[in-house]
Amino acid sequence: MAMITFKINRYNPDDEKRGHFVQEYQIDVPKGYTLLDCLNDIKWKLDGTLTYRRSCRSGICGSCAMTINGVNNLACETQVLGLNCSTVTVEPLRGYPVVKDLAVSLDPIVRGLLAVKPYLMTKTPPPTDQERLQSPEEREKLDGLYECILCGSCTSSCPSFWADKEYIGPHALLKAYRFVADSRDECPGEHLEPIDDKHGLWRCHTIFNCVEACPKDLNPTKAIAELKKELIRGKLG
Amino acid sequence: MRVIKRYRIHMGTFAWILHRLSGLGLISYLLLHIWVISHLSGGERSFDGIMHSFGSPMFKLMEIGLVGVILFHLFNGLRVTLIDMGVMVEKQKTLFVIAVIIWLGTWFAFSAIMLSKMGLLPFTV
Repeated sequence: MAMITFKINRYNPDDEKRGHFVQEYQIDVPKGYTLLDCLNDIKWKLDGTLTYRRSCRSGICGSCAMTINGVNNLACETQVLGLNCSTVTVEPLRGYPVVKDLAVSLDPIVRGLLAVKPYLMTKTPPPTDQERLQSPEEREKLDGLYECILCGSCTSSCPSFWADKEYIGPHALLKAYRFVADSRDECPGEHLEPIDDKHGLWRCHTIFNCVEACPKDLNPTKAIAELKKELIRGKLG
Repeated sequence: MRVIKRYRIHMGTFAWILHRLSGLGLISYLLLHIWVISHLSGGERSFDGIMHSFGSPMFKLMEIGLVGVILFHLFNGLRVTLIDMGVMVEKQKTLFVIAVIIWLGTWFAFSAIMLSKMGLLPFTV
């Protein structure tokens, strides 16, 4: 148990005059409490107006991504005592429009995601007696690509995205490669064509913030490197 | 109250910032270089005059700094090229450390040669 101060960035769209401000809360944090537990404590016991998104509280839904001590992570996967500091700063994911307090609009990541056609595309009709099969080796190629929970941490941490709001973002590029690398997908060009653009693949400057930020330990930069190879191979013949 | 707005810097971000700054440094040098060379159109006298002012020991020492900037941009640029080719993407931090070690090693060697040519070392390299 330790007394921890939480500095939380707040914003109420109905109080434009006040704008964005920092509010401090102090609570006793027992061992094992995640940041989401602490936010719940604050909301339920100290200030019912504190707004944030949450759902599964087990790192699967991606709702509670926020900037914790200057780094994006899921609140439900952040052990507060494990941060080893008496003051924890909590901010909404940067780069996205803030709706209220820690809740941001995820429209930019949905836009990027839809651009890469994030679904399996085929030309041949499906087999009538079974599903489209993959060998274990083909399936293994998708490890590290399919696990994305679309929390938005990576794109929000990306300086290229801060500078270019039309950049489709590392999450969308990871998703594009997830289908390009899929042995069952017969139209890789459909996923590659929309990203071959200055607001697409070529906007990545290999800064690796996305890799640092991903709460699922995925590597969008690696997927981006593979996509670059695919595109260049396609162009050179 | 101050609104916090800072994203924690790690090795990849640091490498990227240094790469951009060294790139800006190289562009500044290139512009200076073109400006100096443009004095050729003013004849021998004009060119000799400008070269003379760049011959001061201070500028000679700055040349060592320039070599450092070029070498950093070169070796980190090779790191970025490897990453773009999908080589050692998961080991980008190790790759940066390797690039920095090679950079410092070659810079040290170049500096020794340059200082020795200026007669600023008690021995010749």
